[in-house]
Amino acid sequence: MRVGQLSWREGVGWRADRADADKADLVLYFGTRAALGCGARYRELKAMFPGAHIFGCSTGGQIRNNDVTDDEVVAVALSFARTRLKLACAPAADATVSRAAGEAIGRALDADDLAGVFVLSDGLNVNGSALVAGIAATVRDGVSITGGLAGDGAQFAETLVGGDGAPCKHNVAAVGFYGTAVRIGHGSAGGWDEFGPRRKITRSQGNVLYELDGEPALDLYKRYLGEEADGLPGTALLFPLRIRDPQRPEESDLVRTVLAVDHEARSMTFAGDMPQGWVSQLMRGNFDRLAAGAADAARQAAGAMRDGEPGVAILVSCIGRRLLMGQHALDEVTAAGGEFAPQLPRLGFYSYGEISPHNRSGICQLHNQTMTVTAIAEAAE
Amino acid sequence: MDRLFARQIAKATKSSGDVDLGALGKQVIAAYEEAKRDRQRTDRSIALMIEELDQLNRKLERQVEERTAELREREAELRAQNLRFDAAINNMSQGLLMFDAEGRLAIYNNRYFEVYGMPRDKVRIGMTVEELIRCRIESGTFVGDPVEYSARINALMAKGEAYNRLHELPDGRTVAVSSRPMPGGGWVVTHEDTTERRAAEKKIAHMAHHDALTDLPNRALLRERLAEALNHVSGGVQLAVFYLDLDNFKGINDTLGHQLGDELLKCVGDRLRARVPANATVARVGGDEFAIILPELGAINDAAILANQVCEAIRPPCDLCGHAVITDTSIGIAIAPDDGSDPDELMKKADMALYRAKAAGRGTFRFFEPEMDASIKARRAIEGALRAALARGEFLLHYQPILNPRENRITCCEALIRWQHPQRGLVGPAEFVSVAEEIGLIIPLGEWVLRQACADAARWPNDTKVAVNLSAIQVMNANLVPVVISALSAGRLELEITESVMMQNTEATLATLHRLRELGVRISMDDFGTGFSSLGYLRRFPFEKLKIDRSFIRDLVSDKNSLAIVRAVTTMAKSLGMITTVEGVETAEQLAQVSQLGCTEVQGFFIGRPQRLEDISRLLQDYAPRKAKTA
Repeated sequence: MRVGQLSWREGVGWRADRADADKADLVLYFGTRAALGCGARYRELKAMFPGAHIFGCSTGGQIRNNDVTDDEVVAVALSFARTRLKLACAPAADATVSRAAGEAIGRALDADDLAGVFVLSDGLNVNGSALVAGIAATVRDGVSITGGLAGDGAQFAETLVGGDGAPCKHNVAAVGFYGTAVRIGHGSAGGWDEFGPRRKITRSQGNVLYELDGEPALDLYKRYLGEEADGLPGTALLFPLRIRDPQRPEESDLVRTVLAVDHEARSMTFAGDMPQGWVSQLMRGNFDRLAAGAADAARQAAGAMRDGEPGVAILVSCIGRRLLMGQHALDEVTAAGGEFAPQLPRLGFYSYGEISPHNRSGICQLHNQTMTVTAIAEAAE
Repeated sequence: MDRLFARQIAKATKSSGDVDLGALGKQVIAAYEEAKRDRQRTDRSIALMIEELDQLNRKLERQVEERTAELREREAELRAQNLRFDAAINNMSQGLLMFDAEGRLAIYNNRYFEVYGMPRDKVRIGMTVEELIRCRIESGTFVGDPVEYSARINALMAKGEAYNRLHELPDGRTVAVSSRPMPGGGWVVTHEDTTERRAAEKKIAHMAHHDALTDLPNRALLRERLAEALNHVSGGVQLAVFYLDLDNFKGINDTLGHQLGDELLKCVGDRLRARVPANATVARVGGDEFAIILPELGAINDAAILANQVCEAIRPPCDLCGHAVITDTSIGIAIAPDDGSDPDELMKKADMALYRAKAAGRGTFRFFEPEMDASIKARRAIEGALRAALARGEFLLHYQPILNPRENRITCCEALIRWQHPQRGLVGPAEFVSVAEEIGLIIPLGEWVLRQACADAARWPNDTKVAVNLSAIQVMNANLVPVVISALSAGRLELEITESVMMQNTEATLATLHRLRELGVRISMDDFGTGFSSLGYLRRFPFEKLKIDRSFIRDLVSDKNSLAIVRAVTTMAKSLGMITTVEGVETAEQLAQVSQLGCTEVQGFFIGRPQRLEDISRLLQDYAPRKAKTA
């Protein structure tokens, strides 16, 4: 396996940060909606790597090695020796077809030797939980599903996904890795601290939350945000919600983040399901512990890597973490990178949702407010 | 250097190596703002959280207060409930124990100690069954192996099975113990002293099967025993049923009173019990009737021997409160299987045989014979027919004239009953009067005769009397006098009674006859000379007339003795102020002779046969001219 690393900057264009990238099977790229929306980046990459799948999405900030940037497009070009790839796309007009889109992709990719799926999805019009459940239900057991929901900075207006085409909204794309040579490691962790009383989800529907302990959920958030409530829905990410099923708190423990708010209905739309009857608790971040969480996720993923072997680490971190941490976001990226060999290329993005197997249950699902790391390598011949 | 500041300097460092202070300043200011915002956010969150937690705390405190008050209330309720429960369990008539799911004593009541007379300081909550049983052994109220017993109870309760048993205590009392599993484990045991109840139950059961007076088995138990004994009748084994009654019990009861009558029955019961073999059953089946079952009878003769022994045993006088009372018993005997194998059938047949024994002269016994059945059936048929005949008016009266030879005038007609049987034609009284007497039909039948005879006589010439025969039963009937009063002008009525009436020599009979006499009714003694013909009767009873029996007239012409008797009677009657009627005059010679002897009246075929009302009415008309002619 060979890995090249590239970046693009307005007025500068593409620059190879790392050689070994002349020929590739898969190019992953992440950039702002503004940089990707025109389709030019796709076309440029396609021209550079005509034999490769060109696969990427819009973000809430890009990660390149130990740096977090807003003005670059970051990319890796991967060339495999003994690993077959397949790319599949599915439209996702709205949240109600999320599971169907997941099932379509799962069916397109499933095969006896399918080793892993990396998926990128529209970040605003998709119920990520349903999407992942759809994929997981149609591929064989044990296949890891990782990836994330595309972002749109703190705007929450439009997210783009492109798989062998110009990135567009209402799109889901995934690449499947086949064979026994490919090694895919994954890790996911939050590092958030819960605080305040536990509240019961007393009214919800799918991923729309109406009431906690009988009180409109939006009122609670507004009270906690104070003047920052003007920045909703983005500022709601400062206070993620930890939710769990009181019947099986260990395996069901999840963190949810807000995608949209409805001031009239006083409801909030989250990136995944908010089951009625579950218990929730507000969370807040401490920079150091968030960074330690990122390192924890990277450590889990790094377990699949062998020293000196070529590979790549894809970091998908939640936009909420970045909004909170500001310039300290670099701390978590650095902490995660510290878990890998210094020369291992790392790229990634700030997302509206992370996809990875659950730490304890192993079930692939949507996470929020986490750092999720996918490490891909190919065993040497 | 701070890590963030180092990165800020790195970011602000141009490619030339110079630091862009403007860019660095921007980054630093932004970082400060971020930190400020984060601090504000943190402060706000903490303040809100404190406020929320405080609210929550207050809410919880309120809840705790409410719950505490509620708990206190419940506790008070529980205490009251416990007091009531205590009162309830300590006032029950049964001893009560409750064991928990581990088989340890959880509750007991005072009554438990009372039932077993145990000191209560030995028993404590938490004891096992085995420990409790050891206390019982110490108090002398349990006999048995405590280990085995408690293992059995524990096993049964674990299986959830109820267990009831009766404990016979060494002091003779009986305690009913009932163990019932409780839902959710453990069990409850009740101990009830049932000594008195069981004694009462036994007594009730005994009373249901025994006669209160003699304490002999009653009819129901007799029937049970008989049915049971009949199961063993087979092969050469036979069984005898004796049916007994006392021959003159009614008379004894009437004359000596019911109390002595009861004493007599007890005496007879005792004698029967003493007389029969051990395997026999003696029962009192009603009034003065007794029965004996003699099972495992080898030979019929054994039954006869025992019957004789029983008769002999009853015969000696019973000393009842100073009265020496003599009675006899008659016995009817039926033998199984020859006479039947059904208890009711055997009893019935023994009863038939008894009837025959009584007819045979009392103080004896008879075995059942098939012809008894037939004759009793025939009798039953007559009984039924007689009752129907009275209802349908099939009886009629014939009249036989009685002549006063001196005046040559019919002075009286004797009414004689006949039955106009729809199939058999005219039936004489010999065939049905005794049956009517036995079944009590004689009372309505006699009343009918009296009224009919009086009604008929009312149409005869003025002084012609009508004579009506009375049975002893009629004389004893309290209704006789009112019937006579309402029937006819009393001076025209003659009532004929036989010796059997006089033998009922009671004050009541005598009073009735005197009362009739006072009413102007003439009382005559019928069939004089055939029985005891005690002259004492003539003195005590208010007779005005003697009817000399026909047997003396038949031989009057040839037999001097008869002549002498008739003469003597006639003379005696005359001297006592009585008139005489000679019955059975069939020839002119006889008429001449009795006329000469001084008899007042004559009756017989020569004067006139018994005849229908129309014929006798005509005869009465005829005699009026005859009288004129002879005069």
